[in-house]
Amino acid sequence: MQNRTIVIDPVTRIEGHAKITIDIDKSDKVKDAKIHVTQYRGFEKFCEGRMYTEMPALTARTCGICPVSHVISATKAIDEILGVTPPKAGTNIRKIVNLAQLLQSHTLNFYHLSSPDFIYGFDAPKEDRNIFKMMQTHPEMARDGINLRAFGQKIIEDLAGKRIHPTGIIPGGAAHKIDESTKEAILEQIPAMLKIAQSALEFFRDNLHKFQEEIDYLGAFPSLFMALTNKEGTLEHYDGKLCFMDSEGNILKDRIEPRDYKEFIGETVEEDSYLKSPYYKPLGYPQGMYRVGALARLNIAKTCGTPLADKELKKFKALGAGKPVLNTFYYHYARLIEMVYALEKIEELLKSDETMSANVRSTSTVSYDKGVGCSEAPRGTLFHEYHVTKDGIITAVNLIIATGNNNLAMNAGVKQVAQKFVDTKNITDGALNRVEAVIRCFDPCLSCSTHALGIVSSKIEIRDHNKKIIRVIERS
Amino acid sequence: MIKEKVRVKNFKIDGVCVTGQSNQTILEVAHDNDIEIPTMCHLRGLSNVGSCRMCIVEIEGRHEPIPSCTAKIKEGMEVTTSSPRIKAAREMILSMMFSERSHTCSTCVVNGDCQLQSKSVELELGHSFTPYLNQRFEVDASHKNFVNDPNRCILCTRCIRVCDEIEGAHALDLFGRGLNTRIIHDMDEPWADSTSCTSCGKCVYVCPTGALYEKDISEEEVVKKREIITELVKNRGQR
Amino acid sequence: MKKIRLGTIWLDGCSGCHMSFLDMDERLIEIAEYVDVVYSPYVDMKEFPESVDLTIVEGALSTDHDLRIIKKIRENSKLILALGDCAITGNVSAMKNLYGSEAVLQRGYFELADLNQKYPSKVVPTLLESVIPLHEAVKVDYFLPGCPTPADAIYEMLKSLIEGTEIKIHELTRFGK
Repeated sequence: MQNRTIVIDPVTRIEGHAKITIDIDKSDKVKDAKIHVTQYRGFEKFCEGRMYTEMPALTARTCGICPVSHVISATKAIDEILGVTPPKAGTNIRKIVNLAQLLQSHTLNFYHLSSPDFIYGFDAPKEDRNIFKMMQTHPEMARDGINLRAFGQKIIEDLAGKRIHPTGIIPGGAAHKIDESTKEAILEQIPAMLKIAQSALEFFRDNLHKFQEEIDYLGAFPSLFMALTNKEGTLEHYDGKLCFMDSEGNILKDRIEPRDYKEFIGETVEEDSYLKSPYYKPLGYPQGMYRVGALARLNIAKTCGTPLADKELKKFKALGAGKPVLNTFYYHYARLIEMVYALEKIEELLKSDETMSANVRSTSTVSYDKGVGCSEAPRGTLFHEYHVTKDGIITAVNLIIATGNNNLAMNAGVKQVAQKFVDTKNITDGALNRVEAVIRCFDPCLSCSTHALGIVSSKIEIRDHNKKIIRVIERS
Repeated sequence: MIKEKVRVKNFKIDGVCVTGQSNQTILEVAHDNDIEIPTMCHLRGLSNVGSCRMCIVEIEGRHEPIPSCTAKIKEGMEVTTSSPRIKAAREMILSMMFSERSHTCSTCVVNGDCQLQSKSVELELGHSFTPYLNQRFEVDASHKNFVNDPNRCILCTRCIRVCDEIEGAHALDLFGRGLNTRIIHDMDEPWADSTSCTSCGKCVYVCPTGALYEKDISEEEVVKKREIITELVKNRGQR
Repeated sequence: MKKIRLGTIWLDGCSGCHMSFLDMDERLIEIAEYVDVVYSPYVDMKEFPESVDLTIVEGALSTDHDLRIIKKIRENSKLILALGDCAITGNVSAMKNLYGSEAVLQRGYFELADLNQKYPSKVVPTLLESVIPLHEAVKVDYFLPGCPTPADAIYEMLKSLIEGTEIKIHELTRFGK
């Protein structure tokens, strides 16, 4: 046999589009596999020349799934430029909105995108593996997912004006205080929503035994982890400092000021993807591969700081037996725990009197020429860095997007799963679905991370080493 | 100075008999009679220049439509404010306004409070009929309170007129030709260096779009006080 | 009743309009009774199918592949609905045009990279000289603006297409909504 390449294109049920290539060598072994992100949006250039006041609205448009994260990182960067600290209520409103987004985004990944694999199995017919089928066969579960996601979206709308690309999170804090009636309406629903989140967690745990192979091979490998944590080492999505941990659980570097991120994170270009690969600078490329997101956050956090989530965290940590959990498949698990956490934390913040103060925004004008804003997006750590003129016109922008941080790990995951499941003599849809599933574990947000689009094709093209197509198999 | 005598004139707008004074424009008389004609560069209280052509109407016996804001009324004229031809022309005018510069409503600080945007709703414009030109202009944010963003300017010149006619400063004017025309301060100075600008902010209030806006405030906080000028002129007239 | 064969795709946009589609919440279940989603990021179909009744397109056209796909979509779809400002005006996706592809790539892959500076050129599609809205490349049947298009507007639009009734789009949404 000659060298050949299998192309999965587009990768579906992820947020954004990408394609995957699987290279097979002459001895019919999977030699390599890669994910290619195929579109580039160029925010880092076209934001230049715009006023800093437009940055939250502009950068929100990098992503329709986690616009709140961009708005939060953007406003935090601008806070630095203005030299302001938002009032406590403003900060708490931002935190609640950020958690509401975490909740809706994790819900989307679990119910709308990933759970068809858990319900019907990875080898189920491809026509069945989607939320619309779920509405027919598991209407209750589909409804739960829809309601839980709607709950998160509704909080964003109520507190920040709009479900997607909200305008109420502004430099210096938030635009509006929270009404008593809004607060009561949210609090009233929390118990029902917690029940849904917990039942999702139970469903996942009850079904885990069916997926032992996936747990073992869908990206189970050592890597570094990065996340924000606060002083006490508890789970943190808004404030905090950066922490790098290795696969043994050793802290490589802790309490890094987000504004110093460039000392620790380098970015390299992949010539076959519009998504760059960040790496931990002290270890270099590609040894400095790290993972971010729910798995990294739960590995690094000592506790969640809320009772129900902490109980779950204990069980989760037991999977690693004192060391970090390395299985990418458990991202799903980690996200479910974070959903419970988000609900508990939203309740806690809403019940605080400080949150309800009318003093929600500080004002100022441009005071510094640079600002860095960092937060934990649903998919991981997100950096916005802006430079401005003394008048407030943006002169330079650097963004490191949550999903980008996982690029090296996603590629490692794709390779591992392809080597395990793809039988080069009998390529099945189920095997290719698993290759896509490892990507789904990371819950990548490719619209963010430059934005991707695949070529519409269901074909597997087998090419020789000159990339000339020698055979085409219809995927079915 | 010899003043022309003001006479009463009778004519028809959309078949309705109306009466006005000979020094009035078609738009003014239409307005007095609650007949809607879409406008853009017009603002009550300021002079009319007919630069945007949004208020075009057809006159019986004339081949080309004319802007109603500058056309004086005539005895017996028959005015049509809307027809398929007028509608198409207005859509084309609006398209050109949208496509000439980079408006990007979604990220503009006056999103939701913009007259160009609301015009697209009023005229039910589905999409631009002209291709986007993608021109880029430098933003002038040198003034401590205000920003001038030519990327969102439709060259209606309301700002120039309000500064000249109401504030009496004439700090603003047009510079350049055609697609490169810009609003400038003094002799194309940065706004902060303008010696004639009084920083009164009237230009910002009357701007229909996000070309002139207040600094350091967010989309949620922007308030455009366009009526303030109309009120101001009315009050001065009464004094 | 024969179900409507519905396709959805996002091109150069942020996926916000697709998220707004999901923001129909429980009304999704109602809509699902009348439509078969035959192609979408939410389902596992890899090839754009033949004879689609309605394709909802989010995003502008920014690569050679976008152009090819939109032409195929036009061939295979009875109706095309341009969803959201990027598909209709280019919106934020078209802001690249203000600097041009070259400058935008230079920024991303040379100035802001620490290692291996070069333009991605293998496997990935090529950026067009300028990002354009859908109607500059193919005929578009409906325009539903917004950034993103509000869920209510998407719902009313789909309902009107299912029931064959008229709606006033401009009462539901506008550019930048």
